[in-house]
Formats: sequence, structure tokens, C-alpha cells
Amino acid sequence: MGDCPNIREGDEDLLLSQRRRILEKCCDCANFKRDLKRFCENGHPLASVFSLVHDEHQRQKTQIQSLVSFLDNKTLEVRFLHELGSVLQSSVDLEEVLSVALTAITAGKGFGMNRAILLLTDRSHAQLKGYLAIGPRNYEEASQVWDEIASNDMDLQTLAQNFRLNKLSAERAKFHDILEQLSVPLDATDHILIKALDGKHPLLIEDAFHHPDVTPGLASLLGVDTFLLMPLHSRNRRIGLIIADNCITHHRISDEDMLSLETFTFPVAFAIERASLYDRLQLELNRVTEASNKLQEQQELIVRMEKMALVGRITSSIAHSIRNPLMIIGGFARSILKSTPASDPKRDFIESIVSETRQLEGVLDEILNYSDSLYPTRDFWDVNRVVETAIRDLQDRLIQRGCECRFEPEANLPQAYIDIKQVSYCLRTLILNDIDGRTGENIRIQISGNSDSIQVSIADKDRNVSQDELDSLLTPFSISHDIGNGLGMALCRTMLDKQGIPLVVIAPPEGGITYTITLPTHKEEPS
Amino acid sequence: MSRLLVVDDEANIRLLYAEELKDEGYEVVTAANIAEAMEKLQEGAFDLAVLDIKLKNESGIELLQQLVKERHNMPVILCSAFSCYKDDFSAWLADGYVVKSGDLTELKHEIARVLAKKAQKAKTGL
Repeated sequence: MGDCPNIREGDEDLLLSQRRRILEKCCDCANFKRDLKRFCENGHPLASVFSLVHDEHQRQKTQIQSLVSFLDNKTLEVRFLHELGSVLQSSVDLEEVLSVALTAITAGKGFGMNRAILLLTDRSHAQLKGYLAIGPRNYEEASQVWDEIASNDMDLQTLAQNFRLNKLSAERAKFHDILEQLSVPLDATDHILIKALDGKHPLLIEDAFHHPDVTPGLASLLGVDTFLLMPLHSRNRRIGLIIADNCITHHRISDEDMLSLETFTFPVAFAIERASLYDRLQLELNRVTEASNKLQEQQELIVRMEKMALVGRITSSIAHSIRNPLMIIGGFARSILKSTPASDPKRDFIESIVSETRQLEGVLDEILNYSDSLYPTRDFWDVNRVVETAIRDLQDRLIQRGCECRFEPEANLPQAYIDIKQVSYCLRTLILNDIDGRTGENIRIQISGNSDSIQVSIADKDRNVSQDELDSLLTPFSISHDIGNGLGMALCRTMLDKQGIPLVVIAPPEGGITYTITLPTHKEEPS
Repeated sequence: MSRLLVVDDEANIRLLYAEELKDEGYEVVTAANIAEAMEKLQEGAFDLAVLDIKLKNESGIELLQQLVKERHNMPVILCSAFSCYKDDFSAWLADGYVVKSGDLTELKHEIARVLAKKAQKAKTGL
């Protein structure tokens, strides 16, 4: 580049401006310094002026370079705070916020402290308690972690995520001993941690082992001579405190570090409070949701109970409205029968009245015994006999309807532990429900079982039942003309439920309906 | 001859009870409600009362409580369409409980049992 030894490749533009060339290169040039020295030695009258101007230029140049360096650092710091703020603002997860905050303090690209310990205020116990810590415990671990971080150029969010996912639990366990002991009552205003918390500004503790405000226990627990206490406040609420130190490198904590960290604590405190509130909100929301679900269940229960209460009122009304006339008819029929000679041709009619009223009273008893279904009386019974008896009781009605009911007893079955009266009633109701208002039905009853349970299935292949009818089947007074008035079925279900006996009704689209009840063979109470 | 008071709001039931119980050898007086029952009780003594629980708008249980209070020597048998009253503690005051039926055998047995118990009590003083 010509005769000038300071202009090198890339400095070509300086050849176009003599002014820039002189300011940027000549002042530092060895030739210029040599010429200036000779100039002074020769006693030129302007030599002292040149020297003065040159020195002042050099001084200002150095100052400007220092300012540029400071501004560069501040720019990096602002960028970092911006990144930190963005990450904190986007999170409402407490663990994530804490991970970001502590990572920011200890990450090299952040504040570069060696270790950070977070304490949070526990209002319910009026204490400041150790919650989380991050950092190496010794030099070996430190070099390993720092090498790892240096080899992976990650941004703050990625670093924090990595910490949260892979290291949070381990760090908690690693610092468990310290965190456990870091617990100070909030009203212990003489304690250095509470003083710092109340002071609202970062507090640098130096010479901790001889510091008048630091207890030997705390100094010994932290194991460092110098540490920084940074209170976290949000809207005048004491959120917590961060203890940061350089326990490995023992680098000095400068005033500038403290100022930067103070700026950092505001968004952190706010984010922690917001995340804590969100946690509580989520907790409350879960409680409200749970309460809402319970309320819905209760409402459904009330609706069911109201329906069943209606059943109770109806049966009560039946009791009074039907039993009295039945009693009068039956009673007088018996009176007449007593005085009717055996040879009287009308005696058969009277006997029929007595017999029918007795049967009706029996049916009425069964309905009125609904309330008794709440307290079933169970014992061991032969299910084959129970089914046979139920069919025999209905024989007349089956014949009248032209219905065929097939049943083959199953050998080697254990006895079932049931309330025979209620189960018999249920079997009769299921069979009757099937033939109600119909003729020519073919009902097949099958029994199968093992040592634990016995299944009784009542199937009618010819019956078609829609889903709506199936749904209303077990609801009291949900009338289905096709499958009866539903009252008996509802009673069946209540009775069986009380005994822990499931009733399953299957009506496949291709047709047919099957009722299956599973009877227990052991004495265990239903769960 | 034991004298019975039958209280029921149904005229036909009163008639049925009266006929059947007379055949059993009892003297039977009937009443349709509490006021009438109290009136009959004022007119003469009874060995036993048979009360229906549902007396239209009145309650046989109330009458039972009144009788236990005022005439504790007269046993009472409750007769009702509802078996559930058996478990009602207020019905425990009665000496017997029968669920209504066209077959009066149970009622007759209960009357005989309660009267025998009363006689035994009078005899032994226990």
C-alpha cells in the first residue's frame, strides 16, 4: 500500500482521505512518533504544540474506545434483559419461571454468577424458605458444566428448558441440605436475609465469616466469603430472595453487576408472583371444576331420587286406594263363603273371588315392599328352583298369551346368596315385561356360572327395542308401549342394586333383547 | 264378652270388622273418625281398640298417643294398609300391628293375643 507501512489490505479507502489516514493511522505510526521526537529535539517552536495536541488526541481516543466498550456491554445487557423479559412474560408455569430466573443468573451469557439460591416467602407459615438452587458444588463439576454449555450455543430459553427438563430435580436433590436449612421466620427482622428482603435493594455481603449481621451458621452453610442478596418484590409484596455468589471462581462482584441484577429482579419477581397466582388460580379452577362435577352428579342423583320418590308416592297412593277395596271384597267374600254350603253352585265363584283377591293382595304386597328393598334379607338359594318357581307362578299368564318359556336347569351350580323374595320378583317382572301385551313370544332362560357368580339370562329373539326405549326402560314411569310401563323394571333395578347384582339389558340392532343378572355366590357385601 | 272399639274411615271396613268380630264373640262398636271415637269412649269402657292409621285427614297415630296417655289400660292394635309403619317408632306405642287384608285371621289372632296378655297382666299385676 504505497510507502505507508500501516495501511494494509482492507484499508484501501484510507488512501482516498488524507484526513482519516492521518487521524486513524499516523498518530500511532512509529515513523510519525520518531519524526515528532526529532522535531522536538531540533527545537522547533511548534514542537510543544504538536506534542500537546497529539497527547490529547490519544487520551480522547482511549476514552471513546472505553465508552464504546461500555455501550457494547450495555447493549448486550439490554438484549439479554429483553430476551429474559420475553421468556418470563410468556410463561405462567412457576417451575419454568424459576428455571429461567436461576439460569439467567448463572449462565455465562447472563450474569455469569457461579451459584444462585432462591428462597420464597411462605405466607401460610410466615417464613422465608429455601426453594431451589442452581450451580456446581465443586470445581470439577463446574468445569464439566461450563464446558457443556460452551459446546452448545443455546439461547436463554433453551438453556432454561434444558435445565427444567433434565436438571431441576437433580439440582433440588443436590442442594437439599442447604435448602432445608434456609428457613427464616418473616418476623426475624434482625436476620440478614429478612433485612435484605425488607431492604428492597441488592445487598452485597463481604467478609461474611466476620460480618456482624451474618450468623456463623449462615456463612458456614453458604461456604463463601462474599455473596449477593437480591430481594424480589412485586407491587410491594415480598416474593422472595435470591442469594448469588461466585463460590467456585471467587470473582469479585462489582457495583455494575449489582445494578444489572437489580434491574433483573423486577421482572423475575413479577413473573414468580404471576406464576404463583396462576398456580393458585389453576388450583381453584380445579376445585371449582370438581365441585361443579359433584354438583352435576348430585343434581342427577336428585332427579333420580325425585323419580324414585314419585314411585314411593304412587305406591303409597296405591296402598290406600287399592288395598282397602281389595280387603273389603276379599273379606266379604270370605264371610259369604263361610255361610255358603258346599253344595251351592255359586261357591266356586266366591272361592274364585277369594283366590283372586288373595293374589292381588300378594302383588300389592310386593309393590309396597319396595321400601323394604332398601334392606334386602339375603341367604343361600338354589337358582334353578328360584327360576322354576318364577316360571310356575307365571304359567297361567304365559299360557293365556300363548307364550313359550323354555328353561333347562343347569346342574352343579353353587347356591346364590340373594334375597329370594326380591330376586323372584325381578325374574317374574323381567319375564312379564317381555310378554306384556304380546302373544306367541318365545322366551329362553339360561343359567351359567362358576364358583364366584351365576348368570341368569332371559332372552327374547323376536323382540325389537330401540335405543330410546332401552334408555327409558329402567326409568320409573318412562312409558314405553312396546316394553311396558317401566315401573316394575325400575323397582327391579333398585332391588338388584341394593344387593349388588348388576342388571344388563342388551338390545342389538339386528333385533332381540336379553336381560342378564349376575348373582353372587359368596357372602361378601357388595362394594 | 270383650268390648272392642273399631276406628276406620271406610264404612265397608267397619261393617266387615263388625260382622267378623261379632262372629268371634266380641261386642263391637265402630267409629269413623277421632271425634266419634272419643265420643264412644266417653259413653263406655272398651277392652281393646282397633285403629286404622290413615283416617282421611286425621292420623290414627295421634289417636293412639291420646289413648295411651288417657286410657293406658286399654290395649290398641294398629291396622293399616302400610307395612312400613311397623318400623315407625310412634307406632311402637301400640300393643299390636296388623297389615290390612281381606283375610282377617291375623287380626283375629292378634286381638286374641293382646286380650289374653291383658288378662294375664290383670291377673298377675305385671
